[in-house]
Amino acid sequence: MIYKTFHFRTLLYLLPAVFIFLTFNVIPGLTSLVLSFFDFTGFETNLFRNFVGIDNFIKIYEDKYFWIALKNTFLFVFGAVFIQTGIALILSIFIFFGNFKFSVLVRSIIFFPCVLAPVSVGLVWKKILEQDGVLNSILGLDYSWLSSVSLVMWLIIMVNTWQWIGYNLVIYYAGLQSMNIELLEASDIDGANWSQKIFSIVIPLLWPTTILNMILNLIGGFRAFDIVYVLTRGGPAHYSEVLASYLYYYSFSAGGPNKMGVGASVAFVIFACILTIAVARIIVTKRLGKET
Amino acid sequence: METNKTNNYGASFKRSPIFYIVTRIVVLFFIIIIIFPLLYTLSLSVRSPETVYSARYFLIPYEFSFANYIDAFVNAEQKLKVSFPRMFLNSAVVTSLSVTLIISMSIFAAFAFSHLRFPLKESLYNVMIASVAMPAQVLLIPLFYILIYLGIINTYQAVILAYAGFLIPIGILILRMFYEQIPYELTEAGTVDGASDLQLLMKVLLPLAKPAIATCVILLFLDTWNEFIYAMIFMQDPTIHTVPVGLAKIGTSRYQVNIGTYSASVMITIIPVMIIFAVFQRWFIAGMTMGALKH
Repeated sequence: MIYKTFHFRTLLYLLPAVFIFLTFNVIPGLTSLVLSFFDFTGFETNLFRNFVGIDNFIKIYEDKYFWIALKNTFLFVFGAVFIQTGIALILSIFIFFGNFKFSVLVRSIIFFPCVLAPVSVGLVWKKILEQDGVLNSILGLDYSWLSSVSLVMWLIIMVNTWQWIGYNLVIYYAGLQSMNIELLEASDIDGANWSQKIFSIVIPLLWPTTILNMILNLIGGFRAFDIVYVLTRGGPAHYSEVLASYLYYYSFSAGGPNKMGVGASVAFVIFACILTIAVARIIVTKRLGKET
Repeated sequence: METNKTNNYGASFKRSPIFYIVTRIVVLFFIIIIIFPLLYTLSLSVRSPETVYSARYFLIPYEFSFANYIDAFVNAEQKLKVSFPRMFLNSAVVTSLSVTLIISMSIFAAFAFSHLRFPLKESLYNVMIASVAMPAQVLLIPLFYILIYLGIINTYQAVILAYAGFLIPIGILILRMFYEQIPYELTEAGTVDGASDLQLLMKVLLPLAKPAIATCVILLFLDTWNEFIYAMIFMQDPTIHTVPVGLAKIGTSRYQVNIGTYSASVMITIIPVMIIFAVFQRWFIAGMTMGALKH
């Protein structure tokens, strides 16, 4: 602090940023919660005319596709948090301790998809997974992967993992580079073999990085929309819908019901999920902070 | 990013041949998985239109041609009513203006958060941290109406302001963290010499904050250049489509384009990013790693 008291001109530093933040982030966010209690379409001028109470929530509660979307969102988040983080952990340890000659190049290659637009990535994979695509040619099958109700969500998770694994990898790598090496040297003297070192020293030491990666993937998982949109548009018959694409379908999609109020109630559900997680995280960190 | 040649972390693992072989196999497997889809799409895009469908899974095209790329440009212009150069121009305008706007505002706001006193400071900061975790789609419907009300829907400003509102907390978070790491003695010396707060920010903090600003630029560039849903809904006029929106329209339209044109269209959006990445890869990786630590 360079001043002991509040000076009026401090507001000049803050005002532009806070104004934009409030107008285009906080106010829409809160309005979204309010709008979920109103019924309106995309052509309405007065959004707050038709108060319907919790009708929108009843509507999504009774819609089986909402439950599919919710389940798919949690499946997607599960895939991102556990599968993607797990693979990245193994891969980063292998690259770090494997003494690769081109380890920088290897990391750059695996990282590269992160800088691409999810739309481009989705379209690359869409052609590969299509019925006359290259995957079927390689496997000698004639299977319509993206039309399979049971597989489609796992394929979307796989494509998402393909794109973002490098992100978790470089974060793990930063964790490994700042790791305390003395324990490893000590274990060398004790004659530990490589699997013992990985499981009882390296992975426990990387725990904070693992938590960070899991949180990043958790937040990213709830955001997923682009990749679902270009790969399947929620199809076949809404079986790969996630909450975000379900919201889009209800409010904006050209062939959809154009019920924005229902869309707002889906936004409410997403909001509630994120808020629950955020509060849980604050409680957990506070409790851990007290212990240490 | 140093190479591994000089570190001795690997020394304790060297003795195990199993570890050596397993790491090679696993890493090679992942490299192939990552490269194959991109290489395959590239390979399809540079075949002559007649040979696209034959021998599909051989990566090496036996009749080399750029005809698909010409088709892709023509197809975009005819069916989408927006050419690829125009899409890139739209994306460049939106990205550069959003990033400039966000960073120029964050530089000052973060300074107020790190070095000045004002009421409700930490509450406001906590709201910003919480908003970083919110998915963009939560704001979609109200933002749509706010932008209609302001009369700027279907213009660049609509998306630029939406991005600014959504991404400004990231800029402030990163810059505040950085300002606070700058040794207290430096700012102390400044105030003793009678420098005003503005001079302190401009002459002492900003010159030191260049790496943090670079991190912000990289993160915000990627977020805005690749962003899809806001750009799609707030700029429905085809002439101002950004690259992802235009590409999604080509790739998911009911009027199927042939696979060569499709692949060329996808590669047109990937190749420029590939070149930028090849040049600045260290900055990208370091920037995204640093950006991750904000959480």
